[in-house]
Amino acid sequence: MISIMRLIKRFVITLILSLLILLVLNIVLIVTVLQNDRESMGGWGTASQLAETLNAGPDGKYELPEEGRRMLEQGNTWAVLVQDGTGDVIWHSENLPEEIQLHYSAAEISWYTRGYIEDYPTTTAAMGENLIIVGNPKERYWKELYPTWNLDMIKNLPRTILIFFGANLAIVFLIYFIVVSGILRSMKPIVQGIQALPGGGDMYVKEKGLLSDLAAALNQVSEMLRCQEYELKKKEQARADWISGVSHDIRTPLSMVMGYAADIEEDAKESEEIRQKAGIIRMQSVRMKNLVNDLNLASKLEYQVQPVKSEEMNLMTLLRETAVYFMNLDIEGKYPVELAVDRMQISEGSFYGDKELLKRAVHNLLLNAQIHNPAGCQIRMELSEYPELFCITIEDDGIGVTDEQLEKLRNTPHYMLSSGTASEQRHGLGLLIVQQIIAAHGGRVEFGQGVKRGFRVDIFLNKSGKSIKVEGDN
Amino acid sequence: MNYDYLKNKKILLVDDEEGLRQMVLSILKKDGYEQVKSAGTVKEALELSKMWQPEFAILDVMLPDGDGFCLFEQMRSFLDIPVLFLTARGEEDDRIRGFGLGADDYVVKPFLPRELLFRIQAILRRTYKEDNPLLELAFSRVDFERAEVIRQGEHIPLTAKEYAILQTLGRNAGRIVTIDSLCEAAWGDNPYGYENTLMAHIRRIREKIEENPSKPVSLITVKGLGYKLIPSTTKIHS
Repeated sequence: MISIMRLIKRFVITLILSLLILLVLNIVLIVTVLQNDRESMGGWGTASQLAETLNAGPDGKYELPEEGRRMLEQGNTWAVLVQDGTGDVIWHSENLPEEIQLHYSAAEISWYTRGYIEDYPTTTAAMGENLIIVGNPKERYWKELYPTWNLDMIKNLPRTILIFFGANLAIVFLIYFIVVSGILRSMKPIVQGIQALPGGGDMYVKEKGLLSDLAAALNQVSEMLRCQEYELKKKEQARADWISGVSHDIRTPLSMVMGYAADIEEDAKESEEIRQKAGIIRMQSVRMKNLVNDLNLASKLEYQVQPVKSEEMNLMTLLRETAVYFMNLDIEGKYPVELAVDRMQISEGSFYGDKELLKRAVHNLLLNAQIHNPAGCQIRMELSEYPELFCITIEDDGIGVTDEQLEKLRNTPHYMLSSGTASEQRHGLGLLIVQQIIAAHGGRVEFGQGVKRGFRVDIFLNKSGKSIKVEGDN
Repeated sequence: MNYDYLKNKKILLVDDEEGLRQMVLSILKKDGYEQVKSAGTVKEALELSKMWQPEFAILDVMLPDGDGFCLFEQMRSFLDIPVLFLTARGEEDDRIRGFGLGADDYVVKPFLPRELLFRIQAILRRTYKEDNPLLELAFSRVDFERAEVIRQGEHIPLTAKEYAILQTLGRNAGRIVTIDSLCEAAWGDNPYGYENTLMAHIRRIREKIEENPSKPVSLITVKGLGYKLIPSTTKIHS
């Protein structure tokens, strides 16, 4: 509905602007037209000019010079000069129509000044004590017979105009709202429907009224979206189930591969070469095991089949448990883990999240260090606390990564990394899982180089559990 | 430390996969377990349990005529023995269900033989500890039955907390135990805030079991993580 309000607002503004423009335009037009008319001052100018041109001869006879005569001819006008006192015409132009009288009373003069002589619109001018009356052609002017205006009305004119304008505006709006509200009423459910579409298309618009065909189309789109979403979910579920099934079925045979390989590896009766080979089989089957576990979890996290629990836990305890679990399995002790803390404190690092998943993430990082450093390496873990977040750092002093690899890790979806040549060390899903788990907790993971060569991972977890907004974060 | 007394415990292995059964049997035999029998179905397992009275069971969850959880519950009605689930079902729910029923451990396939053996031994040691309450250390010996340390003929009694801590360490001898687990063993469910007290107790335990408490060889610190108790025979599997 917000967008409808915006629509109305925009329309009103446009309307007011248009009205203002129209008003200004009209005023300009009127003024221009009037200006043109004013040039001849509606025939009054001719009378004044005649008064100046007409000469009284020495014998008391009046004479009109050539230019005055031409002026009268051009305008197709006639003129008389009425003497003061007697009311007699003491001069008249040669083209005076016959019906024009040659004597005027004071009442007639007053009337003819305002109006017409025999339908000829007249204009007058004073010439000394006498009066010049100019008769214009019948169809040229219209005269207002009662040219008086109430002064109050003229004084109030600006206000009156404003009221006129306002009233006009109000009526225009009223018409607009009556017309538009009908359209709006039929549009409202459609707009609501469209607004509901991004939320998954779960909506229905009644197919009636002005825009029923639009509503029908919208319902079709919604239905399609629902179907697509359902299909997608079904597909994702099927994929997750399939991966889960495969990873389940592979566990028992893999147990036997691992078991017998380890058995041969530890069998003193076998030759050194055989035992070494068995060792390789064992190691590789462990990798397969990790891959199977990762694949299963990755698909579940990807398709959001795995629920992320929220339980209170202690991050320090979690790190210790994971490190100890890892170290207890590292029988040869090639990968000592050090947890850097000032004091052995377990009352810090209270966090809400999925404990098992976070353990898995940390364990994957430890395993990652192990896989990439077959000769062994020192691993250092650190938990730092900031006002808003926790940072878990896991760093090793092993072979580390090149800048190029780092760039790849940061920018490529992880499983894409295995598209390299066969000689390149192929990666499992370990780091992808870490990213997924941390992302599911609203945190982020950063990869980098360790202080002493090695590989370094920083995990940032927001204390409030809300996602951390960082530029470039997706 | 000698764990041979555990090797003649009767172990029942239930798994429907013949090949896997054979492998686990051979692993157990090789490690010195002499009395191991296996079953492939719930029916077989129940019959064997009644007749043979095993002292420990390794159960698969998915069996052709039922599931391991139900089998476990039925066995419990006439037999009180520790159980380890060995299964391909690694889901969190399954794990929780297994532990909820009272299982002692839950191992998801695939597994390394060594890890399985260690877990079995840990369970057996925990369950049948009274059979051999003596823990041999480099300079002393811990008698858990009498709650005392014997060093050079001298009997030094252990306090309740020291006993709880040493017992937890002893059960996991040769492995690191987190300070969290130790605090929990000594002070219960809410162990936070006892780290310093734990350090004090560790110091006192060292005074009792070590020759030189400032240079410990039996109870060693793993920086930042926890402690490790080294039995006098470091090779546990002997």
